[in-house]
Amino acid sequence: MTCHVVPKERAGVVNPIFTCQPAGAQFASIGVKDCIGIVHGGQGCVMFVRLLISQHLKESFEIASSSLHEDGAVFGALNRVEEAVDVLLSRYPHVKVVPIITTCSTEVIGDDVDGVITKLEEGLLAEKFAGREVHLLAMHQPSFVGSMISGYDLAVRDFVKKFAEKGEPSEKITLITGWVNPGDVKELKHLLKEMEIEANVLFEIESFDSPLLPSKDNVNHGNTTVEDLRNTANAKATFVLNRYEGGKAADFLKKKHKVPSVIGPTPIGIRNTDTFLKQLSDVTGKPIPKKLVHERGVALDAIADISHMFLAEKKVAIYGAPDLVIGLAEFCLDLEMRPKLLLLGDDNSKYVEDPRIKALQENVDHEMEIVTNADFWELEDRIKNKGLELDLILGHSKGRFISIDYGIPMVRVGFPTYDRAGLYRYPVVGYNGAAWLAEQMANTLFQDMENKKNKEWVLNVW
Amino acid sequence: MPYHEFEASKCIPERKQHAVIKGPGEDLSHALPKGYLNTIPGSISERGCAYCGAKHVIGTPMKDVIHISHGPVGCTYDTWQTKRYISDNNNFQLKYTFATDVKEKHIVFGAEPLLKKNIHEAFDAFPEIKRMTIYQTCATALIGDDIDAIAQEVMEERPDVDIFVCNSPGFAGPSQSGGHHKINIAWINQKVGTVEPEITSDYVINYVGEYNIQGDQEVMLDFFNRMGIQVLSTFTGNGSYDGLRAMHRAHLNVLECARSAEYICDELRARYGIPRLDIDGFGFEPLSGSLRKIGLFFGIEDRAEAIIAEETAKWKPQLDWYKERLKGKRVCLWPGGSKLWHWAHVIEEEMGLKVVSVYTKFGHQGDMEKGISRCSEGALAIDDPNELEGLEAIEMLKPDVIFTGKRPGEVAKKAGVPYLNAHGYHNGPYKGYEGWVRFARDIYNAIYSPMHQLSNLDISKDEIPTDNGFLTRKMLSDATLPPEVVNDPILKQYDGKLDPIPDLRAKTYPVFPKKEPAPVAAE
Ligand code: SF4
Ligand code: SF4
Repeated sequence: MTCHVVPKERAGVVNPIFTCQPAGAQFASIGVKDCIGIVHGGQGCVMFVRLLISQHLKESFEIASSSLHEDGAVFGALNRVEEAVDVLLSRYPHVKVVPIITTCSTEVIGDDVDGVITKLEEGLLAEKFAGREVHLLAMHQPSFVGSMISGYDLAVRDFVKKFAEKGEPSEKITLITGWVNPGDVKELKHLLKEMEIEANVLFEIESFDSPLLPSKDNVNHGNTTVEDLRNTANAKATFVLNRYEGGKAADFLKKKHKVPSVIGPTPIGIRNTDTFLKQLSDVTGKPIPKKLVHERGVALDAIADISHMFLAEKKVAIYGAPDLVIGLAEFCLDLEMRPKLLLLGDDNSKYVEDPRIKALQENVDHEMEIVTNADFWELEDRIKNKGLELDLILGHSKGRFISIDYGIPMVRVGFPTYDRAGLYRYPVVGYNGAAWLAEQMANTLFQDMENKKNKEWVLNVW
Repeated sequence: MPYHEFEASKCIPERKQHAVIKGPGEDLSHALPKGYLNTIPGSISERGCAYCGAKHVIGTPMKDVIHISHGPVGCTYDTWQTKRYISDNNNFQLKYTFATDVKEKHIVFGAEPLLKKNIHEAFDAFPEIKRMTIYQTCATALIGDDIDAIAQEVMEERPDVDIFVCNSPGFAGPSQSGGHHKINIAWINQKVGTVEPEITSDYVINYVGEYNIQGDQEVMLDFFNRMGIQVLSTFTGNGSYDGLRAMHRAHLNVLECARSAEYICDELRARYGIPRLDIDGFGFEPLSGSLRKIGLFFGIEDRAEAIIAEETAKWKPQLDWYKERLKGKRVCLWPGGSKLWHWAHVIEEEMGLKVVSVYTKFGHQGDMEKGISRCSEGALAIDDPNELEGLEAIEMLKPDVIFTGKRPGEVAKKAGVPYLNAHGYHNGPYKGYEGWVRFARDIYNAIYSPMHQLSNLDISKDEIPTDNGFLTRKMLSDATLPPEVVNDPILKQYDGKLDPIPDLRAKTYPVFPKKEPAPVAAE
C-alpha cells in the first residue's frame, strides 16, 4: 500500500480551490480592532473578496480600495493611496491601523508603497492627523505568488513585525489560530480558559458571529488590539496552530524577539487536541484540568459508537487549506476511515517536506494520493475518468458541484462554506470540534444511505 | 433639486454632487447627480471592476463555452459561483471556470506559451465543448500578452474550435460598466456575422441584455415562442456562442438591460440596419406594453394580446393580494445599474410600494435621469454610494425593506431592515407575470417576517407580549386591513410552484407556418 505525493501536471487551473494572496491579507485585516485595510489595485480585488467573506460569515465589515483606474495603471497610482488614506481616516475617526495591501497590478507597475507610507507619515499624518494614533503598514501581496493561504501567512507576519515590541516579559502566550471560523476561536479560548492560560489571540474574530440587536448596533469588527500585537514580543511562547497560516510570524518573533515557538499540530481530532493541551501545559506549567478530561470523555463517548461501527473504511477525499486537510486526514485515520485523496491547492514547495505528510507516506495502509498545486479537476477527473470511488468528500463550498453531480455526500468544512447555514459558528478544533465533525460525517452518510436506499436505511439504529 | 450632503461625506466635498433629493414638482433641469466618474479612493464604494463587468456579468452567462481568464487565479475564483445565471445545458458555465494561473516567472518572461498550453488542456479536458472565451485581467494586460495572436494560432491548429478574446482588464474604467462596453464591442467586431443561421420563422429577434437570473430568460422565451417568434440568440443569459455569432440575421433587437448591452444593439443598427426595441420584462404593464410593441412591429398584435389576456387573468388577482398588503411600505431600491429605473415606477404602481431612495453603483447619468423621473417626490438618489452613506440613508429614511446586494444586505439586516437580493433574487425568476408575483411574494415575506418583528423587541425593557405562541405573516399584514379586502373572494396568495423552470423546459409550442422566405437584412 502506498501514498504518493504528486504535483498537478497540467499548467492551467480548472475550478480553483484557492483564491489569490490579497484575499488572505484581507481576511487577516478584519481580525484587528480599529483596522480598515486599503487594497491597492482594481476594485474587483476587494469587492469580490468582501462578498466572498460576507457570504461565508453572513456578516458585513469594511475593507477599502484605492480604486486603480486606467491612468494609474499607466502612470503609477501612489497618489490614489495617498488620497485613500486621507479619505478613510477623515471618515472613520476610530481607525488606527491601515494596512496597504498590494495586488498583482500594483506589484507589476512597481508602485513604491513603502515609500509612500513614509511620505504619508511625515506629511499627512504629522500635519492633518497630528495627535491621532495611526499606523500604516505595507503588505506586499503579489497575486502571482502563492495563494490566499500564503497571503494570510504574510499578513500575520506583517502585523506582528509592525507592532511587536520588547517590554516586560509576560505570562501570556500568543495564539495564532490560522484561517479559522468564529466558532473555532471560541472553542480555542474555551480550552485556554479551562487551562487558566491568558493569550494574545491572533485574531479575535469570535465577534463575527454577531447578534441582531434591538439597539440596531451594526458594526462588526475583529477584536485583536494593537496592544495584543505589541505583546507578542513578550509572550512565553508563540503557538501556531496552522503551520502555513502563521508560521512566518512565529519565525519572525523567534528570530527578532527570541520568543520560542510551538508549531502545530492543528488541533483537529482528539489526538491532536491532546497534543495541543500537552504543549500548552509544558510551556506554562499549568496542569490539564479534570474539566477537560470530562469534556474529552463526552466527545469520545459520542465518537466511539460511530467510528468502528460505521465510519470505518469509508473512503474520503479532502481538499482545501493544507493544515486543515492534513488535520482532517489524521482525524479520519483515527476514525478508521480511508482518506484516499488529499488536494492541496497551491504550489508551496514545502508541503512535501511536512513531517505530517511524511508520516502519512510511511504509515497509511491503503492506496492514497496527495496532489499539490491541485485544482478541482484533479478530483473530478479521477472520479469521472479514472475510477476513483468515494463515500464522502470533505471541503469547502466551491467544490459543491462535484458532490452534487456525482452523488457523493459532502461535509462542508473550511472556507468558504456559503451554501450551508451557520457553519462559521461551529468549531472543528478541540474536543467539541472532534465530536461535531464525526457526527456531521456520520449524519451526512446516513442521509445519503436513505436517499439512495442503501442497505442501512432500512433500520438505522444503534 | 437640492444636492444632498451626507454628514459622513462632508470631508469629501466632491461627493456632494453625487446625491440629490427630488423636490416637489421638480424635473431634471435643476440637478442630476454626477455619474460614472472615477471612484474616490478609500471611500469604501461598492463598485467592481471592468473585468467583472465583462466576464462575470456578460461573458459567463453564455452557456456552451469554456470561459478562461488569463491571469493569476484570484480573479477567476472570485467571480465563480456568485451569480445565479442558470442555463438549460446543466449549467456548464456556472460549474466550470478556468484560469491560466500566471505566476511570477510568467510576469517576468511573458505568459503567452502558458496561455497556449492552457487552451489546449481545457479543450482536451472537455472534448464536447468547442467554443472558448478568453478574458484578460490586470496582470496580463500590464505585461502586454498578445492574447488575440495566441487564440488565432490555436484556431489554426484546431479547426473545429472557435475562440473569442475579451481585453477588459480590471482597471479599464471607473466600474464594471467599462467592461460591459468593451465586451459588447469586442463581440460584434470579432464574432457577429461568422455563422449563418437557419431561419425558421417570419419573425426573428435577438434578445439582448438578459442574463437568465434564476430563469428570467426562459420565462421570456416562453412568450416569444408562444408568439411564433424565432429567437436567434440571447445576449447572453442561457445564450449559445454560435447563436450569438448569427446576430446579424435578426429582424429586430429586443433590448432589456440597456445599461449593459445597448452598445451592441446600437452597433447592430449601424452596421446591419437592425432596429432596436427597448422592452421590459419586469411588471405587468411594462411587460404587456413590451409584448404589444413586439407584436405591433411584426403585425402579430393578436398573438401578443392573447398572451396578455391569459396571463393577466391568471396572475393579476395574486399580484393584487400582495399590493393590498404592501401599500405604502417604504423601499430603498439599491441595485447595481439599470434596475433602478426598471423597477422604480412599476413597484409603486403595481405593488403600492413607496420608493424612498434609489442608488446605482455603476449606472451612468442617463440611468439616474430615468430613475429619478420615475420615482416620487422626496426620494433620495445616490450615485456610487458608499458604506457610511448607505447607513446614514437607512437611519434617515427608515425603510421597510431594501433591495440590494448580499453584503450591503447584511448591513441593512443589522439596522433592523430586511433585504432582498436585487442581483441574484431570492425565489425568482422575477420576470414575466408569474415572476412579478413571485417578487411581490418575496417582498411580502421579508416585510412581514415574524422573525424580523421579534428582532425589534428588547426583552430587558419592553413589554413582552405573552398572548401568542406564534404569529403568521397574515396575522401581521391583515391586522389593519378593512374586512372587505381581507375577505375579497377574488384576491389570492401566490399558488405557483417552488421552481417553475422545469415545466417551462418541458413545454411544447404550436407551429406557426412560415409565410415567405426570410427577408435578408441589409448588410
Ligand atoms: S489575481 Fe490580481 S486582479 Fe485578480 S483578484 Fe487577485 S489581485 Fe486582484
Ligand atoms: S441588470 Fe444590473 S446587474 Fe444586471 S447587467 Fe444590467 S446593469 Fe448589470
